[in-house]
Amino acid sequence: MTGSYSKLTSLRFGSLKLRIAVLYAGLFAVVLAAIVIIASNSLSHFGEASAERDLAANARVFDELLELRAQQMDRSADVLAHDFGFREAVATRNGPTIDSALESLKGRSRSDAAFVIGIDGNMLASGDTRIRSARALWSALDAGKTHGMIRLDGKLALAAAAPIEAPDLMGWLVIAQPMDRDELDRLKQLAAIDVSAQVETSEQLPQWLRSGNDGQIIERSDAERNLYQVSAIPALEGNLSPRLVLRHSLSRSLAGYDHLETALALLALGAIALVIGLSWRVARTVTEPLRKLDEATGAIGEGREVEIKVESADEIGRLASSFKRMVSAIEERERRIIHVGLHDGLTNLPNRKLFVEQLDRALTRLTEGERLMVVYVDLDDFKVVNDTLGHPAGDFLLKQVANHLREGLPDSDVARLGGDEFAVLIKDIDAAGSLAATAEKLVECFKRPIEIDGQQIPCSASLGIAIAPIDGSHGTTLMKHADLALYRAKSEGKSTYQFFEPRLDEEARQRRQMELDLRRALHEGGFELHFQPLYSLVEERLQGFEALVRWNHPKRGLISPSEFIPLAEETGLIIPLGEWILREACWQASQWPGGISVAVNVSPKQFASPNLSQTILQALGHSGLEPERLELEITESIFIANVEKTLSTLHGLRDLGVRIALDDFGTGYSSLSYLRSFPFNKVKIDRSFVQDLSSEGNAHAVIRAITTLADALGMETLAEGVEEAGQLEVLKREGCRYIQGFLYSEPVKSSDVMRLIGCDFDSLLVNAG
Amino acid sequence: MRVIHKHRSFVIAALLSLFVGAWNTAAYAAPDANLRVQVVDQNGAPVRDAVIEVMPASGWTGPIRFSWPMAMAQRNQQFVPHTLIVAKGSTVAFPNLDQVRHSIYSFSKAARFTINLYGREQNRTHTFPIAGTVALGCNIHDQMRGYIRVVETPFAAKTDSNGMVRLTGMPAGSATMTVWHPDLRAPDNVMARKLTLAADDNAQKLTVQLR
Repeated sequence: MTGSYSKLTSLRFGSLKLRIAVLYAGLFAVVLAAIVIIASNSLSHFGEASAERDLAANARVFDELLELRAQQMDRSADVLAHDFGFREAVATRNGPTIDSALESLKGRSRSDAAFVIGIDGNMLASGDTRIRSARALWSALDAGKTHGMIRLDGKLALAAAAPIEAPDLMGWLVIAQPMDRDELDRLKQLAAIDVSAQVETSEQLPQWLRSGNDGQIIERSDAERNLYQVSAIPALEGNLSPRLVLRHSLSRSLAGYDHLETALALLALGAIALVIGLSWRVARTVTEPLRKLDEATGAIGEGREVEIKVESADEIGRLASSFKRMVSAIEERERRIIHVGLHDGLTNLPNRKLFVEQLDRALTRLTEGERLMVVYVDLDDFKVVNDTLGHPAGDFLLKQVANHLREGLPDSDVARLGGDEFAVLIKDIDAAGSLAATAEKLVECFKRPIEIDGQQIPCSASLGIAIAPIDGSHGTTLMKHADLALYRAKSEGKSTYQFFEPRLDEEARQRRQMELDLRRALHEGGFELHFQPLYSLVEERLQGFEALVRWNHPKRGLISPSEFIPLAEETGLIIPLGEWILREACWQASQWPGGISVAVNVSPKQFASPNLSQTILQALGHSGLEPERLELEITESIFIANVEKTLSTLHGLRDLGVRIALDDFGTGYSSLSYLRSFPFNKVKIDRSFVQDLSSEGNAHAVIRAITTLADALGMETLAEGVEEAGQLEVLKREGCRYIQGFLYSEPVKSSDVMRLIGCDFDSLLVNAG
Repeated sequence: MRVIHKHRSFVIAALLSLFVGAWNTAAYAAPDANLRVQVVDQNGAPVRDAVIEVMPASGWTGPIRFSWPMAMAQRNQQFVPHTLIVAKGSTVAFPNLDQVRHSIYSFSKAARFTINLYGREQNRTHTFPIAGTVALGCNIHDQMRGYIRVVETPFAAKTDSNGMVRLTGMPAGSATMTVWHPDLRAPDNVMARKLTLAADDNAQKLTVQLR
């Protein structure tokens, strides 16, 4: 049992369709088989029961027939027994007359024998009848019986007796009919019943029949199944126990049901076949869409495009449409993810990745004689907009620029590379086309003014352009070259474009090399400080030194700061370099006698660094230099970015106790508002004004204005680049307090500082003069 | 109605028998024997209308007279009386009291005769010269049955409803008593018994097998 159960549970189907069909059909077959078996059994039982009922009914009918026959014979006998002549013949014992009357009666009543038994039990007239003994009949007749079985010629016969009265009972007229096969068949025909009847004495019956009770139905299987009923029938003779034996063929009765059972079985088989077919069909209807969905899922898993058809409105149909919606949603999300991955969120322009793909695609399609233009764009002064108007304004500006680009260059691929950098890919430029005109058109695109919060913002951009295939046949190369060209364009000024040239590539290479060298120098101590004296004209003494960084390149020798400082600014190396300078300058100055200060240049990037105060404090702390002996030189450009922040930083620095000087005053913005906004300790007049003093002009008026203004604001003035005695004279006359320049001393190595401190100032000037 | 009538006839018969008894006693001075007989059937039930005859061993040569009329009437398609005792040689009248006609026959040995159909206004008689039982039937009314017992002794009477009969004035001494009844199970429906009659009262009880 358990074995078969586990076998059943282990019955696994690879296909839902097969499983549904098999289980469904199997279940139906089991139910149907049960029904057929039950029906067949019931039919058999019913058949047997109805056969028994039939037999019992037939037995009653047969009894009735026997009774009727007996009564008929009775009546026949009665007629004669009441005949006056016959009675007289009997009363007078007129033998011949009686015999003739009996003969006539036999023919009339269709019976085989007729005789008269006297009241005393003697045979009065026997005709030719041979009966065992008239006495044997007498007692039954005397008891008033009118009919029953007697033995006639050794055979059982149905006898009917009528009393002969004249008027007293004289005897009985008896007529008899042997119950042989013919007679019984005749009886059977009357009733048209399907039994075979037989009349036997009890002793003649086989034992198995004799043992049954009266009326009991016995089943016996010989050659075929038969039902037997034995019933006692009345006897008109003593010591006679006649039995009526009815036999009914059960096999024959059931044969009718056999057809029915066969029909039922055939019907069941047909039904099973139909159910198998139908369930297969139903299973297919159910599973076919599932199989399709399964296939579709597999296909989607492999990334193929799948068309899902909704064919019905039922659950399967709803599943299919849900699945379809899900697939569409997934595809939509995938598209969006890809879009997001390949596009800039702000402007919805393609990003660098997509631009590279577009460029690569365009390059592979590039045919002979065709050219591609890769343009890198950088907005001019975007940082200013961002800083002054805020980031939302900056974003708005970027979006506007993106829109302008889309409108102006509908056939080109435009991308935002990040920040304020854009890239444009212009295809299909024929050999005759003017590249410069295209570039000009591009520049114009960016020149459209943009309005933010009702404020017109001038907009312009710098463009770097690389042309394929001249400047490179690979996307990366082209983009690098366009970037280099942009770099150059940027350095050349705003709102301009620059085509790539191989030279740019070389410059870039050198710049990269120098950047590497810078890093190594920072690491390995490749820098050194030179010091240029600052001379006080009022006190006529050495006031301090300006620390100037020098790079002693291992291959190229000394490199000018003007060459490597911008690079350091660009690469951010200015921060560590600035820190080193501060520390080194403070340490050197701490070795000097008191009263000699040191001035250190702070670049705008260094100034913006949040660590500046920390760095200064550490430098002072390590060296032990008094703060007032450190002078920080800053340029006006620090005010461009954010005046508020710059002022707060300046005040913070001043709180440290260090002095702050405004360097290169007179160049750049030279706004007087800067001077008013912060109390600088010193203003350094740019060397260009000092050099102008040699020529004729109004230079000393400028000097005078500056010194007067500085005096009025309580600031000291220092003139840079003083090289001639004439210049010194003018500066003295116009009230400049300090000078710096070759006239006094060029920058010297730290080892020469002490010599300068110890040396007579005047002699130096004389020597110089 | 019929019961009342029977009762009345019984009373008349009883009175008659008393009268006869008185007459017999007066005729013969010799001391007479009387016999009381009761007839019962096999179940102990009294048997009515059984005919008891006593024949003295010496026989009887004297006249035989009975108190009842020698007539067997037909009334309501019945023989009335059902059983009639007559002396041998008597002529019995068969008055038809019904509206219908009757045809009387007898196949008995004692008297074999037929009276063809006759009506109310017609008188029919038959003489019975032989002693024995005559069973009467009507040829057209099977249910009619009557019996005439032709006797050779004056000591004969029918039992009453108690199966009782009383015979008087018989000579004492041995005698043969015969009992007859149409249903009695015996040859010719007769049973005989020898007995000795004592002077005065005798009593006999007879048990018979009835059919």
